[in-house]
Amino acid sequence: MIQFPVRFRVRQIGIDGNTMGPSRILLCEEPGRFLIGKSEEADVPLTGDAVSRRHLSLLLDTHDVRVRDESSTNGTYVNGTRVDEVVLAVGDQISIPGWLLELLAPADSPATVTRIAGVAVDESLVSRLIMTDDDTPPPPRRTFPDAEFDGKEMVSIEALRASGHPVEETRFCAVGGGLGSFVWVDHLRCYGVPASDIRAIGTEEVCYQTYKRYCKNSQIPDHERLRSNSLSRPDNIWGFPGYAMREVGKGIGVKGIFQVFGEPTLAESYTPRAGDVFESLDIEAKRIGWSEMFIKAQVLGLRKTSDGRYAVAFKLWGGEASGMARNRYLIADVVHLSTGYPATRFVEDFQTFITNHPDNRAQVANAYEPHDQIYVEAERRGGPVQVVVRGRGIVASRIIQRLHEARKKNPGIRILHSMRSPLGPRDGAIFRKARRLVRNNVEIQPFNWPKSCWGGDLRVEYERAGEEDRGIMLGQLGGTTTAERSDWIAIMDRGAEEGWYRAVYGNISAFQPIPSPGPDQPDGVQISIDTVEGNVERLNADYLIDCTGLIADIRRAPLLADLLDTYHLPRNHAWRMQDGRAVRGAPSGLRASNDFEIEGLRNGNGRVYAAGTITTGGPYLAVDSFLGLQYSALRSVDHLVTERHHKVRDLGPLRSFGGWCRWMVGARP
Amino acid sequence: MIPTLAGRLQTRLLLFLFIGIPITLLYAWALLDFHWGWREIQIFVWFLCTITGLGLLLDPVYIFIQTTRWDRDWPFAYQFFFSWVEFGIVFFIARAGLIPYLPEFAFQGMRGLGIASLHFALVFIPSFLALLGPLQTIFIRWRFKGGQLGKM
Repeated sequence: MIQFPVRFRVRQIGIDGNTMGPSRILLCEEPGRFLIGKSEEADVPLTGDAVSRRHLSLLLDTHDVRVRDESSTNGTYVNGTRVDEVVLAVGDQISIPGWLLELLAPADSPATVTRIAGVAVDESLVSRLIMTDDDTPPPPRRTFPDAEFDGKEMVSIEALRASGHPVEETRFCAVGGGLGSFVWVDHLRCYGVPASDIRAIGTEEVCYQTYKRYCKNSQIPDHERLRSNSLSRPDNIWGFPGYAMREVGKGIGVKGIFQVFGEPTLAESYTPRAGDVFESLDIEAKRIGWSEMFIKAQVLGLRKTSDGRYAVAFKLWGGEASGMARNRYLIADVVHLSTGYPATRFVEDFQTFITNHPDNRAQVANAYEPHDQIYVEAERRGGPVQVVVRGRGIVASRIIQRLHEARKKNPGIRILHSMRSPLGPRDGAIFRKARRLVRNNVEIQPFNWPKSCWGGDLRVEYERAGEEDRGIMLGQLGGTTTAERSDWIAIMDRGAEEGWYRAVYGNISAFQPIPSPGPDQPDGVQISIDTVEGNVERLNADYLIDCTGLIADIRRAPLLADLLDTYHLPRNHAWRMQDGRAVRGAPSGLRASNDFEIEGLRNGNGRVYAAGTITTGGPYLAVDSFLGLQYSALRSVDHLVTERHHKVRDLGPLRSFGGWCRWMVGARP
Repeated sequence: MIPTLAGRLQTRLLLFLFIGIPITLLYAWALLDFHWGWREIQIFVWFLCTITGLGLLLDPVYIFIQTTRWDRDWPFAYQFFFSWVEFGIVFFIARAGLIPYLPEFAFQGMRGLGIASLHFALVFIPSFLALLGPLQTIFIRWRFKGGQLGKM
């Protein structure tokens, strides 16, 4: 239940990325839809060159608070992820160019409006959106596609045509438009499906845009290396030649080849550069005709049709169409869902801190949200700057590397690395006869899963296991790890020796803002840690960078939430061992068959497949990886071949080799 | 690098049949100045069969060692090394005259070692290179099936 009034803190952001001017509070006293943009008819007018006339809407009803991008030119971001429409949680930050809106916790009593989150706010700055003139609040539900879709499991094509919205038809439709969609479409094309039979719908023209944004935020620029294998090429369904060989061809060097030969024991594992991956994806996109198949639009809903197909409701973004003409239906025989992370959610205590201390938002950051300003400020400040890095995963390693680079400009930067407990060399995870390596208190693994989860005996074993055993295996084989990189090890060793890097062990029990010591001094954060010895250690830091990751909750994506509710789709669950028994935990991804089919959506010969993080806990462990996307695409396209309903031809040895030769010379499949 | 037992056995047999045997026949034939003498050629064929047979016997051992490693996988370099160990074992047993169907005189002296090593190198190098990726261009599911052939 949502308590009204719903409050947003609105702040203006300067060119340097810092907030400027006083905070304003936007108060929404009743359910409704509030348009934000530059237009005069907007309920909340915001200025700025990069703000669209109709930029976004806040949709409030008694169940949830949502934000919806109104096809703005520069996009709407929630916690750093570009979104179409998402459900908000308290503390979430909506950013649009020049502005930051943050959903605040409900007030204790309406009278405390002028003291919001403990901060006195000038009442004149409080905008109230009170819809009193009209007794009926504006409809919280959309008219498209709800008029045709709402409450129905099955729709008829005639009814869709009668609605007056344009209805197009295709055979294969990929929903998402990101890497997952691209890899699936690439497989279809290489199996011989013509581009004219495929449509991919997404909000970003470039398939790796979202992925690249995550890389950039977590401090992996194009010249840095990703955590991926040489042969895991999302632009090449055969995986040969690998990125290491591509580097030789481009004259970058032959070191990669020797790494591949000796990895992971005799050499550090080879990993490709982010920029090379993006460049090769561009080449493949051109080869398979991605732009001919791509529709820049937001998918609003999906329904089974009475003739054994699917209706995909979408709203065009940009282009010439405007108003209602942007709302369209696409009828497809086969649909592929790969929508990625549905806006990100932070871990609990971090969320609480940013909710309670919105003025100290600049002092804390999650590693996946844009937080470059922390490095810029730390470099500029001169003198001592303490940064707490929380977490022991690969992102923490990369953030520490970035801080080490910042030390060249400001040698006063000190890193406090907060980890829950020390990890000795024999404390690594155990799976049967094997134990994971530990170095510098962090578990080491070349990739995010043990290698045989992709194509080895663990893949087979996991696929064959029941729900419970899968959950247990996932727990045993997963966990936070980093890659063994000599530069990272050297940074920690040198830092510890020279006194600018220190590991701190214990649970973070609280973090509090420290008021600024002087007029020109920024605030700090005090972090209380319950140490392993039972003491409380207080760290006074200037910044906290949380690298403990994100929580992907598929219900926060309205498209998936609607599918879950309409078709009562089953979900996977996390499992944990308790007193020797397996106990079911929180729900995770969409339940999919071993061929990645969402069986609850089967409709005659119509099929829906899924890939990526939305299938977590399903038939494969490494779903959220380049190779995992290729695996799921291969499985689902092979399934189409086996079923023979959709005239996809098999890719046997001869056709496969022929297709590969075409890839090598850059010929269209 | 090939992380399942069935995958190792199948891939080994595949490479033996499609790379090992043809190259062996060509090599032996060339050594005999392109004269087809089966009496001599069969020594090369049986030698290669013996190495492959030993490899098939050792594969379960390699797989066992892999399962003690966290990634349940090992570097290409190990496979490279162990292939030459397999060759060495068969060569020295044959030289000692302990393999009844391989005449020990064929393996004596530097000449014997040279002919056998060149033979093995000619078979091994293309086979090993095929594992590094080219096999995937023909068998697209091979890498996900841990080296096994066929459908998923």
